[in-house]
Amino acid sequence: MDLIKIFLVAVLVNNVVLMRFLALCSYIGMTSDVGQSVGMGFAVTFVTVLATAATWPIYHFILVPLGLTFLQILIFILVIASLVQLVEFYLKKNIPGLYAAMGIYLPLITTNCAILAVTFENISFKYSFIESIVYAVGVSIGYLLAMVLLAGLRDRMKSSPVPKFLQGTPILFIATALIGVAFMGFSGLIK
Amino acid sequence: MKGIAKLGLVLAIFAAAACASLAVVYAITKPQIEAQDQIALTASLKEIFPEAVNFEDVTDKLVSKDANIKFLNAVLVKGENAPIGVAVKAAGPSYGGQATLLVGITLQRSIAGVRVLELKDTPGLGANANNPGYFVKKAEKVTFPGQFTGKYLTDAFAVKEDVIAITASTITSKSLTKIIKTAGDSAAEWLETVTADTSAETTGGK
Amino acid sequence: MKSLWKTFKQGIIYENPLLMLMIGLCSALAVTSSVSNGIGMGLAMTFVLLFSEIVISLFRKVIPNSARIPIFIIIIAAFTTMVDLVMKAYFPELSKSMGVFIPLIVVNCIIMGRVEAFASKQSFLPVVFDSLGMGIGYTWVLVAIAAFREILGNGTFAGIQVMPGNFQPILFFILPPGGFLVFGLLTSFNIWLKNRMAKSEKAKERA
Repeated sequence: MDLIKIFLVAVLVNNVVLMRFLALCSYIGMTSDVGQSVGMGFAVTFVTVLATAATWPIYHFILVPLGLTFLQILIFILVIASLVQLVEFYLKKNIPGLYAAMGIYLPLITTNCAILAVTFENISFKYSFIESIVYAVGVSIGYLLAMVLLAGLRDRMKSSPVPKFLQGTPILFIATALIGVAFMGFSGLIK
Repeated sequence: MKGIAKLGLVLAIFAAAACASLAVVYAITKPQIEAQDQIALTASLKEIFPEAVNFEDVTDKLVSKDANIKFLNAVLVKGENAPIGVAVKAAGPSYGGQATLLVGITLQRSIAGVRVLELKDTPGLGANANNPGYFVKKAEKVTFPGQFTGKYLTDAFAVKEDVIAITASTITSKSLTKIIKTAGDSAAEWLETVTADTSAETTGGK
Repeated sequence: MKSLWKTFKQGIIYENPLLMLMIGLCSALAVTSSVSNGIGMGLAMTFVLLFSEIVISLFRKVIPNSARIPIFIIIIAAFTTMVDLVMKAYFPELSKSMGVFIPLIVVNCIIMGRVEAFASKQSFLPVVFDSLGMGIGYTWVLVAIAAFREILGNGTFAGIQVMPGNFQPILFFILPPGGFLVFGLLTSFNIWLKNRMAKSEKAKERA
């Protein structure tokens, strides 16, 4: 039951983008098309889960016993960067279509704050390995959800009369604020 | 091959330099970081028990009845002549992660005071539990943890009925109240055994 | 000297990272529910930006091009860790209230972006001015957003009560949606400002 709670809180109640302001650069930059958002969401899910699977053991079995916890930031970001590189190589070789479509946004996954935040929180929330994986999946699904929602909205907004002074980025933020208010209703989900 | 070896070497040198400089900064700041925790704890203890003179560690003597709530530290607070209460540093789940509270219990089984040591809840909402400027009773300027002072552990602790919740932060309010009650109950229980012992001693000594 | 001053000014207004370049947003919105957090974050980010730019600029001829991203990451991560440790040691309250956002400075797009676009190609003095300009540009926007959110959402500024006693704080502004709203409006104001500046530039040229 605890695992389900962790998952639901991560996806809905404490949504990584809408409630916690993480992963905004890709959120604004990659939601012009729903297909793109889905692709990005899955890529982020993949990297986040792998990163969790790698960083959790590294922290608990190497950094802590050796008293090297101060290297956490350094090691974690290097692990994420390497994983993204590996994903890039794999995609380039095996799914070149997706690789081309993602373009510059693939290496940008490295700087996606949500991924690093998840790896850090797995430690600070004192989650077990399984709880960490569940949390990682939850946060990523929450990210995917937010991305798809905004991409869908942007599609609609193309044919809506947006006031001139709000055109472009401002209306996106305001739309996000409104989606966020709706999501706040989810906080009653958990006791 | 040689090209890659050179790349790897440069990378390794930078990494080594970074690790070395970090190790130095860490060595310098580590004692201060650890001291900060102690300073915060002692300061909080003094706030709850102003007449405290010294503390005796009784951490292994208190057992939490709730598996999720862990007692990190427990001290018997001693005044000039005799013990004046017990303080428990308890950690439990709250909205945004683990919350750590310091709960002080008097010999009369009432709450001497509650201090929030660590809280990761939403700023403006749950985090107001730790905000000295946020009052659950505006007129009397009573904060969320402040409302527990003087409350007897035998009183009712229902949030929103006996305990005033933080606006729009029911989960935080309930989680913290649970931690306070669990810590308070264990401390009171242990105090029973201690005072039972001492009264047995005095009667036995007679 | 004049070009150094120009580099410095760029970051504060014309190429303001948050308002104009739209990078480094995550931490900007998350820590602006209070002014003290905003100032703390601004200073921490500026420190990491300044020293990362300096080190990378000093070593720019030695860093091999194909391995530059990992090396940049190592350097930025090192300075971020230093800020994190120093804050935990000497400003524990601020460190706890900013939480995971201090370590997140390492993925702040502003630093990575600046270092790649500027520091790896420029010498010592220009990068000092660039990083300070960008840092101050980042900080003032943070404080502006935070001031708005804190005064309206909490009645205080940096913890000091500024609104009259019976002012009912508009909690919305401290909440995440409020942050997005404030930023959306600020961006809109900014676009208007840019258009005004462009018009006056054109008018000057014609004159």
